[in-house]
Amino acid sequence: MASERDSSVTVLSQQLLLGVAEELKLPLMQIARQVELAGLNTDARRQLQTIAQTALTLVDNYILGVRLTLDPQQFPLETVSISSVLYDAEQRLDSFAQNYGVDLELSLSGRYGPVISNRFGLQTALVSLGAALIEAMPAVQGTKQLKLQLAMHRSRYGLVAGIYTDTKQLSEAALRHGRRLQGHSRQPLNELNHLHGAGIFVADTILKAMNLHLFVSRHHRLYGLGTVLEPSSQLTLI
Amino acid sequence: MSKVLLIEPDRVLARVFKTALETSGNRVSVMTSAQAAIFEADEFQPDLIILELQLVAHSGIEFLYELRSYPEWQSIPLIIHTIVPFNEFQRSWQLLQNELGVVSYLYKPQTTLAELKKQVQLYSAVTT
Repeated sequence: MASERDSSVTVLSQQLLLGVAEELKLPLMQIARQVELAGLNTDARRQLQTIAQTALTLVDNYILGVRLTLDPQQFPLETVSISSVLYDAEQRLDSFAQNYGVDLELSLSGRYGPVISNRFGLQTALVSLGAALIEAMPAVQGTKQLKLQLAMHRSRYGLVAGIYTDTKQLSEAALRHGRRLQGHSRQPLNELNHLHGAGIFVADTILKAMNLHLFVSRHHRLYGLGTVLEPSSQLTLI
Repeated sequence: MSKVLLIEPDRVLARVFKTALETSGNRVSVMTSAQAAIFEADEFQPDLIILELQLVAHSGIEFLYELRSYPEWQSIPLIIHTIVPFNEFQRSWQLLQNELGVVSYLYKPQTTLAELKKQVQLYSAVTT
């Protein structure tokens, strides 16, 4: 049983590493070409810093994904306010979004109680997902003004936290198909991303290790990806 | 001055390539998807096309077939500038060169801006 688990972790780890390595080519290429172009004015310096930071975040998120899969216990459950997780994720994604000409918005209207989850894991998954969507959006929508919304809402399954935009993203079938192709195809999410889309799979892995699920979701008239969190009735009473 | 149609899905890289090519005297139009590039080819009438093979929804090869199906676009030289290593489409290389008018292949992670500009100068000089 243990060896079966070890081997599935190894395969997953290799698949993710391959994806992250493919994705890392992009920020490294961006750094190399910016340096060549720039003569390093202030704007180029800011962009280079953001790109390098993105590369680091990508690697960090990958490491967290694998560590969580190997040992889910190391990120214990705690009381988490989703609004603050979304706010922090937005802060971490902001300069990366600016580089891609994407406006980030937070939509936190309504009162939502705390949930039981792991704050760090949840935030990392959202940042990873957000970075992948920011990178993918201009390739789908061209020169249009791009907006991405980090939002939460209530559904009959629980609280849904996710990242949304006004153009149609993946279908549930395309996401399922992408999961199967991950590690075997250069472009598993062909409808959404011109690269590997590793950020989405890293988010998927982290959420899965926390017994959550990444799924295609709607927020008002927006399309996106999100996860369902169970509100804690017990904590709400306190 | 040459008119270059650049098909590049990554917005940050597209901005860098556009600036580099414009500083060497070209007029550059950037498109992020194959479908938009087909419409733009009609409007912009490029002298040269630079194409990434890995796009969203359509592959660069699909774009290439569609482009070459129009008689007026059959002779525009096209440079493949891609993240896809050569060995992955080596078997189709003869076809790409002989039937689809690809004049050069550049592996993006290892192509400097100077090299890209040189290639653009070389092949736009052939057409103009």
